[in-house]
Amino acid sequence: MTRGTEQPTDEELVAAVLKGDQERFGDLIERYQGRLINYLFRLLRNADDAHDLAQEVLVKVYQVLDRYDPQYKFSTWLFRVAQNAAIDQIRRRRLKVVSLRQEDEEGEGRDWDLPSPERGPYGELRNRERGSAIQEAIESLPWEYRELILLRHFGELPYEEIAQLKGMPLGTVKNKLFRGRQMLKEKLQDFLSD
Amino acid sequence: MNRPDHSTYREWLNLEADGLLAGAERGLLEEHLTACGDCRRERQELAALAALIERSVVPVRSDFRDTVMASLPAAGWEARSPRTWRFPAAVFVLLGGLAAALMVAGSAAEPSGLSALLAVGGMFQAAALAGAGLLAASWKGVGLLVENVISSPVSLGAFGFLVLCLNLLLFSLTRRRRPAGAARDGRTKGGR
Repeated sequence: MTRGTEQPTDEELVAAVLKGDQERFGDLIERYQGRLINYLFRLLRNADDAHDLAQEVLVKVYQVLDRYDPQYKFSTWLFRVAQNAAIDQIRRRRLKVVSLRQEDEEGEGRDWDLPSPERGPYGELRNRERGSAIQEAIESLPWEYRELILLRHFGELPYEEIAQLKGMPLGTVKNKLFRGRQMLKEKLQDFLSD
Repeated sequence: MNRPDHSTYREWLNLEADGLLAGAERGLLEEHLTACGDCRRERQELAALAALIERSVVPVRSDFRDTVMASLPAAGWEARSPRTWRFPAAVFVLLGGLAAALMVAGSAAEPSGLSALLAVGGMFQAAALAGAGLLAASWKGVGLLVENVISSPVSLGAFGFLVLCLNLLLFSLTRRRRPAGAARDGRTKGGR
């Protein structure tokens, strides 16, 4: 395994799970849960759905863990499964691009559960606006840019893994991320000076 | 070395935001930034965008890990490679010991390890004889059945009809559609 206090790699954790140490899968979950849920949240636009689908993805990955090929990065594999699952779910539910406000049973609007780092009435309002603006800005990006922005900023995948996952040359990934960010900056100009 | 053009500096600013800018290029960029207000503003905006995205992160439920761990099903690969061999090995040893003790206790005349082995051998011999007898009886039964079936045109026709019905049943079963998405579930390109 690894020496001293060095963290085991994903591949080492997978090998340990396959040898019977199921608890090591919990370490993999802890390592990826934040990135996976946030990535799925941006695709599904709902925190509960993101948690549920993240759970499904992790269970699915566990079931076929013996088919994992260590020549790929575990994160590349995980996010590929997650992306396929999210696309399937979006297709199944035929989600439309709608505003960020949902209607609850009483017909009143409910805001998306975004964290609120700013306190007070004005802070809450500003957080809500900001959360909505980010989601709308991301959704307005063409898919080819959006998927890369999500993989980079929410999945936190390095360029090389994104290139491998999408089957694109590294230069194309860099270029698309550059252009995607420019578009995001333009759309979020009002919030960049906060 | 030629001076990079402005668009190159913009690309470098993106790489810098991702922590991917190499040393030599970083030096050139820093030098350029001292003289270029537009690029300084671009750098600030990129940093602000990253911070904005970071602040929009949704928190993970505190029980998420435990929920997933509790919901993990027994995977197929676990059956091929059990989580531990200790339990099956212990059961094997226990049953073996129990069988040997019973056999030794049963042979009162000569209670030794040899008698236990002889008893096991006798048991295998009896099992083999019983199997051979059953097989012979089965073949004889099949022979009688076939003889009976071909003895008259009516019974032969009835037998043919039965075979046809069975084939149709099998055909309809194999044509049954798979549930939607079942094929897609196995689509994990990173896997082997």
